[in-house]
Amino acid sequence: MDKSAPERLTAADRPGVAQPVPERPIPPRPWRSMFVIALALTLLLTGLWEWRMRKLGLEPGDLGDGASAWAEQRRRIDTEDVAVAIVGDSRILFDTDLDRFAALTGVRPVQLALQGTNARPFLENIAADPNFKGLAIVGIADLSYFRKEPGLMGDALKLYRYESPAQKTSFWLYRGLARVFGFLDEDYRLSKLVLRLDPDLRTGVKGPYDAVWKIIVNADERQAWMWPRIEHDDYLRAHARMVWTKLVFSGPPIADDIITMTLAATRKAVATIRARGGEVVFVRPPSAPELRAIEEPRLPRAKGWDALLASADVRGIHFDDDAAMQGLNLPEYSHLTRRCATVFTDAYVRRLVQLTPRLSLRADAAAPLAPRDCAP
Amino acid sequence: MVFNSLTFVVFFALVLALHTLPFSWRVKKINLLLASYLFYAAWNPPFVVLLWLSTVVDWYAAQQIVHSQIASRRRAWMLLSVIANLGVLAYFKYGTFLLENFRVLMAAAGIDYQPPDFAIVLPVGISFYTFATMSYTLDVYLRRAEPTRSFLDFALFVTFFPHLVAGPIMRPTELVPQFEKPRRASSDQLRFGLALITLGLFEKVVLADGFLAGAAELVYDGMRIPGALDAWAATLAFSGQIFCDFAGYSTTAIGVAMCLGFALPDNFRFPYAAIGFSDFWRRWHITLSSYLRDYLYIPLGGNRHGEARTYLSLMATMLLGGLWHGASWTFVVWGGLHGFYLGVERALRQRFSGYRPNALALFGFAILTYVLINVTWVFFRAKGFAKAWLVLSGMLGMNASAVPIISAVQLLIVAIIVGGLVTTHWLMRNSTLETLIARTPVALLTVVWACMAFAILIEQGSGNAFIYFQF
Repeated sequence: MDKSAPERLTAADRPGVAQPVPERPIPPRPWRSMFVIALALTLLLTGLWEWRMRKLGLEPGDLGDGASAWAEQRRRIDTEDVAVAIVGDSRILFDTDLDRFAALTGVRPVQLALQGTNARPFLENIAADPNFKGLAIVGIADLSYFRKEPGLMGDALKLYRYESPAQKTSFWLYRGLARVFGFLDEDYRLSKLVLRLDPDLRTGVKGPYDAVWKIIVNADERQAWMWPRIEHDDYLRAHARMVWTKLVFSGPPIADDIITMTLAATRKAVATIRARGGEVVFVRPPSAPELRAIEEPRLPRAKGWDALLASADVRGIHFDDDAAMQGLNLPEYSHLTRRCATVFTDAYVRRLVQLTPRLSLRADAAAPLAPRDCAP
Repeated sequence: MVFNSLTFVVFFALVLALHTLPFSWRVKKINLLLASYLFYAAWNPPFVVLLWLSTVVDWYAAQQIVHSQIASRRRAWMLLSVIANLGVLAYFKYGTFLLENFRVLMAAAGIDYQPPDFAIVLPVGISFYTFATMSYTLDVYLRRAEPTRSFLDFALFVTFFPHLVAGPIMRPTELVPQFEKPRRASSDQLRFGLALITLGLFEKVVLADGFLAGAAELVYDGMRIPGALDAWAATLAFSGQIFCDFAGYSTTAIGVAMCLGFALPDNFRFPYAAIGFSDFWRRWHITLSSYLRDYLYIPLGGNRHGEARTYLSLMATMLLGGLWHGASWTFVVWGGLHGFYLGVERALRQRFSGYRPNALALFGFAILTYVLINVTWVFFRAKGFAKAWLVLSGMLGMNASAVPIISAVQLLIVAIIVGGLVTTHWLMRNSTLETLIARTPVALLTVVWACMAFAILIEQGSGNAFIYFQF
């Protein structure tokens, strides 16, 4: 058919014979100057990009989060005598100030909560681990906990079970670079930014606007905070609110079989941990009235939270029940601001020491905080 | 480790630095061999044993073939090598698949057989290095290649990290001679190698992972039912993704080897400009297609024993080629479709042997080829036949309850990238990248190089494994 011959022969053109050493000619170009100028241009463009990203609120030291970071913390249970571990979803992740926790009790918890993820499989995971004999704090958003699916980061357990040396090394290197560069943020990758230009042109498509965007900042030991820009940027805050109210938390009431399954699995996990000498306490961090209006009809407190505590015979801290946890600032309805996370941590830790003898307030613990301490 | 990872950046910088130090050539080769083992062990250390096994078995078998004057003994040693290599491949890659199919067969006969759960881990790149090392024994047996005098050179041929986990599938005659004399990249070779690495990573990180994978995933991994636009867009996106992923890997591998002073062969030659399917297989994954031709199709009889045998050989080769890609019937169907296409093409060529198409007809055939190749990609990408039929019926506009899936911007991106890709392939169908570089203004080349490097940096990438690592 096409008779024009290729410029360079390949193995395809030499059937049934020994293939010769390949020829790889170098195009006659001024490679030295091209390389130097291309490198300089790349550095210049990257510098400008870094400047622009910092203007958008990205900062060096935001280490990102992911399965590798989680697996690193999870392995501490295998190698250390962990007194307190937190499992849960994004609420207890955002709303726990590990420094405040440690300052009040002298114990620094291992943070194992995961964004968009059901706490139950992870509670079952530490329940099945004979190395864990400490206190498990299970932070739940009811609708996240009472479901079948593991959720967004369910694969974290898989990586914990086997993470290749190459993956570990890449994670360490990335974290080192993230301390220096702000632009290294999964949510501000080139392709994501381009895709977000879509103004919902196709009706009915679940487009980029319908996904969770950046709301989190991560430090060492998976300390997480709300990204400060969410507090100040009307557009991003409105977007996050839309995602929580219209997409993530909306839906039909939770089916009775899911509730039954969740209660049974929780009861079993709690019993397993207690049999080894450990303990479990549940925590329900705040959500704004606008979100409660969606959450409560789907899973009333009596059928969810109250039934959970009764079924597993376990103690719990619900923000509804503590004045110190009322009126905190939830810019996008679901998570506390950084300052309010400290206030909430202060409140729930003080309640926690009353519920379990495993923790006690240090003699030099600071005075209690109040919601006014983080008023906007 | 994968090329698109920070670990590889550090690893390669160290290897490059070590390679430039004033060691003897033998020490440099030992360094490269140890680095290659480290490269493989970084994924899963115990599996390095498989590399050693492959190396030792084939080295010893080839030695025995050389020293044996009796044909039956030579054949026995060749078969030992083939059985050992294919046995390891079969166990790791097809063990679970075979057991599952056996269970289905037993169930069909009314027997409830539950196979044991071996939880076999597939060693990365096993299909590639078993084929490479087997080609050594086969070439020695077929007297196409002299056995290498140095075990070190042979071990390095098997393990050399640029081609180890995803090709190009090397023949001993292509690489072993390069280990005989000291090699070090010239400064221009080094810079051109770095330019190729930039191009390869740009294809992988920015185009394949960043801009194309998402559209394919929405349809192929999602739960919604696609209409014609979404099914075609996702399939075209995958056609671009798999090319950019795999050609990106090959280009990076060629660049990496070049930085060290070695030459790897072309693995792609603008395949989406193919006119017909025999032409496609001379352009797509060249080192695999030529391997299958030389070690499977020709030994099966090729086109030397009549028409019926030719068609059988063709179909058997493509079915096995499909199975090589993965332990799934969808891959077999993918290979079978290609076998069918090649058979039909052969029949048509014979029927219309006097036909000389004009330029417009050639272009039409090229478009038809690309469209039919996209039909095969459906089976390659889908995780089962149910999904494959759903996408195919979507492509034909037969899904009554279809819903829009891919956003407008994403559709536009797919159109631009895939359209650009196919156009580029068409314009360069008989040319080479080197010729294009030689003809392009220096300023433009430099800016493009910088823009690609910048795009890689700001896309960041999540270190996704290359698609072909699973094969």
